[in-house]
Amino acid sequence: MTMAVTAGRTGRTAISPRAAVLAYLAVAGVVFLLMMLLGLTMRLAQAQWIDVPPNFFYVVMTMHGAGMVGIAGLSSAAVMWHFVRRHDPVSTAVFLTNLVFFLIGAVLILGAGFIGGFGAAWTFLFPLPAHSGGLWSVNAAASYLIGLIFIGVGFLLLHLDIARGILSKYHGLGAALGVKQAFGLAPAEAGPPPAVTASTMALIANILGIVVGAAVLVISLVNLYVPSFTFNTLAAKNLIYYFGHTFINVTIYMAVIAVYEILPVYSHRKWKTNWAFYLAWVLSTVFVLTVYTHHLLMDFAMPTWTLVAGQVISWLSGLPVLLVTAFGTLTVVYRSGLRWNPAAALVFLGVAGWAIGVIPAIADGTIAVNSVMHNTQWVPGHFHTYLLLGMVAMVLGFMTYLTNPQPRYGFAWLGYWLYLVGGVIFVIAFLLAGAASVPRRYAVHVAQWLPYDRIGSIGAALAIAGVLILVVRFFVGMRTAVLAEDPIG
Amino acid sequence: MSTRRLLIAACGFWLVLWLPPARSALESDMALHMALQMPLLIVLGVLLAAAARHDEPRWLASADWLGIPGIVAVVLGTSFWMLPLALDQAIADFRFDLVKFLTLPILVGMPLGLSWRRMPPLGRAFIWANFIPKLGAVGGLYLGAPTRLCAYYRIDQQELAGWTLIAVAIALGITWFIAAFIGWTPSCAQQASRHSAEGAGRQRAFGGASAA
Repeated sequence: MTMAVTAGRTGRTAISPRAAVLAYLAVAGVVFLLMMLLGLTMRLAQAQWIDVPPNFFYVVMTMHGAGMVGIAGLSSAAVMWHFVRRHDPVSTAVFLTNLVFFLIGAVLILGAGFIGGFGAAWTFLFPLPAHSGGLWSVNAAASYLIGLIFIGVGFLLLHLDIARGILSKYHGLGAALGVKQAFGLAPAEAGPPPAVTASTMALIANILGIVVGAAVLVISLVNLYVPSFTFNTLAAKNLIYYFGHTFINVTIYMAVIAVYEILPVYSHRKWKTNWAFYLAWVLSTVFVLTVYTHHLLMDFAMPTWTLVAGQVISWLSGLPVLLVTAFGTLTVVYRSGLRWNPAAALVFLGVAGWAIGVIPAIADGTIAVNSVMHNTQWVPGHFHTYLLLGMVAMVLGFMTYLTNPQPRYGFAWLGYWLYLVGGVIFVIAFLLAGAASVPRRYAVHVAQWLPYDRIGSIGAALAIAGVLILVVRFFVGMRTAVLAEDPIG
Repeated sequence: MSTRRLLIAACGFWLVLWLPPARSALESDMALHMALQMPLLIVLGVLLAAAARHDEPRWLASADWLGIPGIVAVVLGTSFWMLPLALDQAIADFRFDLVKFLTLPILVGMPLGLSWRRMPPLGRAFIWANFIPKLGAVGGLYLGAPTRLCAYYRIDQQELAGWTLIAVAIALGITWFIAAFIGWTPSCAQQASRHSAEGAGRQRAFGGASAA
């Protein structure tokens, strides 16, 4: 690949911002495909079409989970950074530093899994990393945790730099979020652009989440080498989910910037912001930071009020931004004369996948339902709906948008439809299996569960074929995309 | 306040903290030792830095590139004095305590006062974002320790110190967040920003900022 290398004012060479974004997306394309293949391996093993030893199944599950969460963060950060830098001064060097930290962390995590056999799930719930039952060593667990720390440090730097850029212009995160506009204290026309509002929400949530996550990671590391140092397990679970839930949830809010920026290009209609738009983002900022207790609905030792709050906030959490985004998407598209192309279709699909995926998620966030469904495949069913068909669709739309402004889309349309049809089959198989009480995270399935696994495997294979086409197309278009101008001026 | 008065005030402050009534009282409890006496000694160093700023040798300012060496000294110094062994030694041996009384103002407080202003905003934010979870993690470890970590403090004092550090971490986190949310910047930080703006070239080396 030809990297666009420019000479800086200081005389040193530097990678151009556009090349840096493409580098992120290149890594994202490869990692998405590899992690999807790991996911397919698990489904094929459950379907009894291939033989995977149970020990290795949990390694694959851990690597798939950690890898997907990480790459979801990285790819959606690329979307956010690309658009926010149009409005605020941000650093390309810091952006690339995050990529380097991510790659170091990924190597440590992959080493922990595929060399060290670490299989405690991506959530590394304390004190499981230290209790392997002989399946992995302390060093393997440490490698995993240190890998997470590397990734966290990179993202922390990136978000802090975006915060610096935003503060230099808006003089307060509240102003950048549009708090005054949300409460009618300032005209909506004077409010920040959607990319700035969304980035502000993402950085507030992720900085707080990473700071909390760093503390629990250090405590877990100490516990690995000095097991007599223990920590309250319920407190640790709270801290881990505060960090983990926030991080994965925020990926959608970063990726949705692609919808705000790309659809208007093709529909020739501006994405209009109003007080409701800003209020939705303010509310979702609060909800994202407080909703994590819905991961602890089965922890009887949690104070009841926190679980009730978890339920109520789960019902509300995604809705404000989702509603304004879905409504805005329809108003931007409806009778606009938009000529559909894969980039527009993918970001549109992203909004639909997000909106549909939220429904089973809200069901699972209800205590009465959660007590039955939480350990079933309903859960991977709902999160794959809004991540695979929501967040990933937005990122794929962004990749297509950046690499081919020319209207030769035949190959990409094939990828789009394979991905959509396969993805829908894949998530429906999960949801139906969940409704039939098929448990999640089981390496070995009984005969009655196999139909769901086999249909899900076929769907996954189709979706991967579609993503492969879109990613290959991205790599083919990269050479020219490095030097090209954005479709937006 | 003039430099001379600032220097006298700092020395007087140091003497008050060193004399037995204050020293014994503050070192009798682990939480007071860690969350009050040590920060006071660091503040003292920051005051000294304010007094010494105009006389700072040019070579020292140049060597302190972007404030990184100074802040590394701060991080190392504060990390060392969070160790239980260091706390024990300070109580057991007055000479070691004297080392603490000298190093915290000179090797932590003064570099903090001098280098903080040279550090670009991203670096400052990163230091805060590391310091807060570090305090929380150390507090958590004091709570989770199976035995007394300091020979001179009881287990309940250790627990109180752990909770105090966690409370300080939460308070700092909330304060930092509110300040960023409403856009409050202390006047010294504004001055510092002007300094960093003057050294924009240096900042670019730390990560050239650009808007499209």
